[in-house]
Amino acid sequence: MTISSAVVLAAGEGTRLRPLTRHRPKPMLPAANRPILEYVLDALVDAGIDDLHIVVGYKRDRVQNHFGASYRGQAITYHHQTKQLGSGHALLQAEAGLDSDFLVVNGDQIVHQEMVRAVIEAHTVKDVATLAIVESDQASSYGAVRMDGDRVTEIVEKPIDDTYRLLNAGVYAFAPSFFSEIEQTPRQHGELALTDTLGTLIHEDQQCVRGVRATGVWWDATYPWDLLSVARALVTRGLVSEPETDDGVYVSPSASVHDDATLEAPVVVGPDCAVGPQAVVGPYTALGRNVTINAGAVVDGSTIDADSRVGQNATVRDCVTGESVRIGAGTVVSGGVADVRVGTDVHEHCRLGGVVADRSEIGGGSTIAPGTLVGSNVTVEAGTVLSRNVDDDVEVVN
Amino acid sequence: MCGIIGCVGRGDRTVETLLSGLSTLEYRGYDSAGIALANGSIDVVKKQGELDALEQVVDTTTLSGSVGIGHTRWSTHGPPSDRNAHPHTDTEGNVAVVHNGIIENYQELRDELEREGVVFTSDTDSEVVPHLMARSLHEGASPRDAFRDAISQLEGSYAIAAVVAGADTIFAVRQDSPLVLGIDDDAYYLASDVPAFLEYTRDVVYLEDGQFAELRADGWTVFDHEGTETTPTVDTVEWSAEQTGKSGYDHFMLKEINEQPTALRQCLSGRVDEVSGGVTVDELDDLDTPSAVQFVACGTSYHAALYATTLLHEVGIPANAYLASEYATTHPPLPNDTLVVGITQSGETADTLSALRNAESRGAETLALTNVVGSSAARECDHALYLRAGPEIGVAATKTFSSQLVGVNLLVERLRPSGSPTGELRSLIAGLRDLPGHVQQVLDDSTALELVDELFGAEAFFFIGRGLHYPVALEGALKFKEITYEHAEGFAAGELKHGPLALVTENTPVFAIVTGDDEEARKTLGNIKEVEARDAPVVAVTDGKAEVERYADYVLEIPETHERTSPVLANVQLQLVAYHMAARLGRSIDKPRNLAKSVTVE
Repeated sequence: MTISSAVVLAAGEGTRLRPLTRHRPKPMLPAANRPILEYVLDALVDAGIDDLHIVVGYKRDRVQNHFGASYRGQAITYHHQTKQLGSGHALLQAEAGLDSDFLVVNGDQIVHQEMVRAVIEAHTVKDVATLAIVESDQASSYGAVRMDGDRVTEIVEKPIDDTYRLLNAGVYAFAPSFFSEIEQTPRQHGELALTDTLGTLIHEDQQCVRGVRATGVWWDATYPWDLLSVARALVTRGLVSEPETDDGVYVSPSASVHDDATLEAPVVVGPDCAVGPQAVVGPYTALGRNVTINAGAVVDGSTIDADSRVGQNATVRDCVTGESVRIGAGTVVSGGVADVRVGTDVHEHCRLGGVVADRSEIGGGSTIAPGTLVGSNVTVEAGTVLSRNVDDDVEVVN
Repeated sequence: MCGIIGCVGRGDRTVETLLSGLSTLEYRGYDSAGIALANGSIDVVKKQGELDALEQVVDTTTLSGSVGIGHTRWSTHGPPSDRNAHPHTDTEGNVAVVHNGIIENYQELRDELEREGVVFTSDTDSEVVPHLMARSLHEGASPRDAFRDAISQLEGSYAIAAVVAGADTIFAVRQDSPLVLGIDDDAYYLASDVPAFLEYTRDVVYLEDGQFAELRADGWTVFDHEGTETTPTVDTVEWSAEQTGKSGYDHFMLKEINEQPTALRQCLSGRVDEVSGGVTVDELDDLDTPSAVQFVACGTSYHAALYATTLLHEVGIPANAYLASEYATTHPPLPNDTLVVGITQSGETADTLSALRNAESRGAETLALTNVVGSSAARECDHALYLRAGPEIGVAATKTFSSQLVGVNLLVERLRPSGSPTGELRSLIAGLRDLPGHVQQVLDDSTALELVDELFGAEAFFFIGRGLHYPVALEGALKFKEITYEHAEGFAAGELKHGPLALVTENTPVFAIVTGDDEEARKTLGNIKEVEARDAPVVAVTDGKAEVERYADYVLEIPETHERTSPVLANVQLQLVAYHMAARLGRSIDKPRNLAKSVTVE
């Protein structure tokens, strides 16, 4: 059927990506050198949606400020979820803005227009809900589903059982009646998830939720190192917004790259960037807006976010930075595979040279051991060796 | 200072088009509003109050016609009331007129008409226009000739649009007040400012002073002052209508404060190059370094001008800042080879335009530092440097002040006599490029909201700063008084003990801006101790280098950066303080009482 409205859920922080989410929600973290949410909105606009609704909550200024009142000419209405009480509760915030069947998309997962179109085409007036379903061996880490023909017969969040092969891609079409279904769903620990309502619906009537098997781009960054693989996938496929100036090399016209600098494909250099002489940037590297790579620095396999500076002769490999980060001259982020501690869990064998979150300053000549997470607003004295995670707002002296 | 709008070719949607256009012009004035539609006769609806009041009356009135004009008013002659609201009509109701500006000889014209028996129904200067037109129409003139005849008798500044019963045409003219035409395929618009019709078209014609325009359902024509048809250029504006929406914020002001990182990026993009260490401003290719610079500006822009003079002194160019309203009457001497720079966000500020014209008439080269491409200042000056800050709707200037400070840096580096040390320039360029991120940091981490809770209920608020922070102190106080209506004053830190200290008590918080740890910072620290000794709560806006925290009761932190860019950051903190205090007081933040966005009358 024809659907012209879509609700994007962008209110949650994405705590597993801390410390990068200190000042912005996960949808605003960089996928290559653009916010994840831009890819989501592109998919919707490309699929013909002209009425965009975004549910905002955690650090909502960042979303509203980045997109303003419209995206690619399509008006955006913002709905404010004051407390993050689950995706179902988030969707309820947008109820007043919708009167016919509509789409719902997660704002923190990269999808492409094919998947959005597939859901729009499959959804009929008889369906209360239609879900995009992706086949993946990681189904049990997400919302796993089982299907019978084109009907979803079971939906379960992160099942312990690993026999599931299908996952809910977070692209839905709903009939307006779905709002009353959400309201009738009992809250679990005060929260209301969309999948709880879907689960209840399926339980009551195995015929009312349609699933549509979809292919195409579906990427999720759960942990910081996933941002690097997402960036790698995007630059390799050229899914970036800067023009291609050489094979696999994408450089904004407002960037300034010294004649003696080397850009190794695939690489994307954002607007207003400055790359100094003898610097080597790439491959699999994305520079956000207004990034400065000074003379002789080497940046490889990394995502360097807006306004950051990499000092002379620094080496930065497999690294994710936040905004306005300073990596001092001669500092080494040597890169490679490591065990990464996130909260109380240890994740083994992750390719992550390190994370340096917003506005942290790593003094010159320092070394960051692989897998180290450096918080936001951290100051590290020159010549320090960092091999353990550093909390936000800490001053490290050696 | 008012806003006018007109449209033809919108059929049944004429009323809706006029009302939505007026809502975007409300920043120009908002004490009354009205519309008139022409068909066989003229229908007029007008109402005192904000636009909502008019919308309510329109709903209950049947209006017809596809040729319409509208007006939102800010009183200059006569108090706000239904009868003083525009459009004004002649006695028989065959002519309706909207006017922005001031008719200086209206009293003579009114006396003359009253002697002829015309009864005036309003206190406005504008009402003479429909009566003059009616007189000509009675004498057999065509509507076009009646309009021209009326205009020829006026002295002063005006943008006027008129409709006449039985004629499907809007007649318009511009003299020293802004007027823009909007050209769509099957509909034509006119307005004081582009956003009024941006929803429908981006193709615009900026009328020149003395030009007349006629809009009909089947086309549009522009005439020069002698009545000869001319072919004006049609420009395309880059702003989209959506850019002027509030995008989820409670107030335009808060939206615009938050937009500052983006506005500054746009201002700097392509103009500074850290790799080669250069500043290039394409628009100023043919500008030579003058022997002296005079700035003319009003309000917030004047504070940017004060900042600019200090920078020019640093590079060895004599410079002065003048309040534009004083400049034209005091005639400061204009030595040879002086560049006169007008700083005006809108490019339509009447006082600044008049000062620029005065300078031009005395042979000076002129430059406009403005945010509006195609504005009067930009077109009349020899050079224009654009701020690229995007539209600013909140009456209190925020992002455009930040962009002005950056724009001034670009101008000064462009004027810097050659042979300057490149290391210094490189560190400035780095400071400018860091600025968007630093402003974002201030926005993310500011404790202004909590501070407002602490300071709520104080008697008065003082702001002090030295050197480049002196203009920021003035601007901090201006912003504060504009939107909170509380008493606020800014002083040069060293001036405190020469008088204002008498006002300082335990109930008057003092905001002190201190960055770096040089001689200047140490002196300001001394001034802080002076107010501390009078038990005044001290709020330090600081990068923390001068250890001012020891003497301050509250601290608003800003990142450490180049000395020229730290005033921008300090100012963002003060914007947030003013905003949150005004919100706490429940003020009309985007439209403070008695004020309008661009002051197009002298």
